[in-house]
Amino acid sequence: MIDVCRRALSDFYRHRYLHGVCLFTIALSVFIISAFSLFFINAGELMGAWQQGIRITAYLKPDVTKKQAADLAADIEQYPGVASVSYVSGKEGLAWLKEQLGTGSSLLSDLKENPLPDALEIHPAKNMAAMSGADRLAGKIAEFAEVSDVEYAREWMQRFYGIYNLFKVTAFVMAGLVFVAILFIVANTIRLILYSRREEIEITRIIGADEAFIKHPLYLEALMLGSFGGVAGLAMLYGAFFSLMPKLSPEGLLPFFRVRFLPLELVLAILISSMFVGWLGCYFSIRRFLRA
Amino acid sequence: MNAIDALDNQIIRFHGVTKHFGETYALRDLTFEVRKNDFLFITGPSGAGKSTLIKLLYMGERISDGYAIIDGMNLSRIGRRQIPQLRRKIGVIFQDFKLIANRTVFQNVALVMEVAGFKSRSVIRQRVEDLLELVGLPHQADAYPPTLSGGEKQRAAVARAMVGKPRIILADEPTASLDPDASERVLQLLRAAHARGATVLITTHDTRLLSRFDARVIYLESGRRVDAPSAAGNVND
Repeated sequence: MIDVCRRALSDFYRHRYLHGVCLFTIALSVFIISAFSLFFINAGELMGAWQQGIRITAYLKPDVTKKQAADLAADIEQYPGVASVSYVSGKEGLAWLKEQLGTGSSLLSDLKENPLPDALEIHPAKNMAAMSGADRLAGKIAEFAEVSDVEYAREWMQRFYGIYNLFKVTAFVMAGLVFVAILFIVANTIRLILYSRREEIEITRIIGADEAFIKHPLYLEALMLGSFGGVAGLAMLYGAFFSLMPKLSPEGLLPFFRVRFLPLELVLAILISSMFVGWLGCYFSIRRFLRA
Repeated sequence: MNAIDALDNQIIRFHGVTKHFGETYALRDLTFEVRKNDFLFITGPSGAGKSTLIKLLYMGERISDGYAIIDGMNLSRIGRRQIPQLRRKIGVIFQDFKLIANRTVFQNVALVMEVAGFKSRSVIRQRVEDLLELVGLPHQADAYPPTLSGGEKQRAAVARAMVGKPRIILADEPTASLDPDASERVLQLLRAAHARGATVLITTHDTRLLSRFDARVIYLESGRRVDAPSAAGNVND
């Protein structure tokens, strides 16, 4: 193994120009794919932030006591897809409405009694799959005897899920396409390296090298290319991110949202994938090359 | 010597070997034997099949018909994985040297030992230095092939062919691109390899070379073995 490492390192140095080209290709590919990931992750977080505002309101019948309302809230809280349930009395509701109306709140001053019933505010879970069952959840809540009416932004939520699902599918398709493209580019760049070394490989075979002797350092070189390319690509992204960051900060374009860099697990996953792509590209190229 | 002893003493045996590339025949029905520690010339005009024969011997090409046995290995039945084993028994010298341009002379020679599985750097170093001393290139150990003269390149190639202590050395037109002095030096080295026990096969189209050696000669013409060169197929053509 030490011998293979030594040969891989010396070959890496010996063919530094072509390896440099291949490394740059991988770095650029990793930069593109990790930039996509960064965008999709932050867009997902942004949608999650919007989601905070989504809630189902269950209006209670006038004869429902506070205790019954609390029991009902506890029951509803057990439902899958429900994050939390809070009790809002009619009085609190009216105060909130006045606050929202601001100067227009004088319109409410003539009211002899509070028209707003007590209500339960149900916040769906952050989990989008659970949230997509909001229709079913609203239907179930409406079936309770204590509930007179259920209200939620159905149309808005449907549009939200539509966009989110489209977003998710686009992300997967893009990731798949970019992966295939990167694999193709890396395999061809490695094939280029192999062709530039074909005479050397041919001579090595003539003097009695078996396939393992030829292949093992090449695989190791491909892994090195993948890892160095991955690190370089992520470093490029990191640089770009921190130079653009001030413009996207809470004081900048997106005042309510803090843009984040890729989480550590994803950084590691990208590095491992980059090494894997290097190895796979090498595998395909070597197979074709040695067969030829 | 009885028949069994004679067979036992053979290191190369070709019987009815034919090699064709599509419709073109490079060798036809070639039969010959080479004894251990023979010094043998294969000669003939250009296109006679000399280089093809060398390629068949180190399995750069597979035979199309007939059979060939080298040091007990039947080339018709040899599997892909066994080819490196065969090649480690053979040192090959080419007219165009085939040295790896981006490796030093030392590294080119040492590569044979690395391929053969030698792990000890000191053993490799000692053996390569000895060989470079023998071929007169100790001062060029760290030089890269493109900086060497033709004669030096060929001597480096000879060192590479000898370093693995092969049982057979194949030299394909080793002096064709060298001046007389450099040619003489390479031939001396091949004789030294022979004296160390190797079987040496040299292809050449230079009849002057043949006259200077008391060695067996196999004549080829249009891919066939002939007893002596015909006027039409004079090897110096």
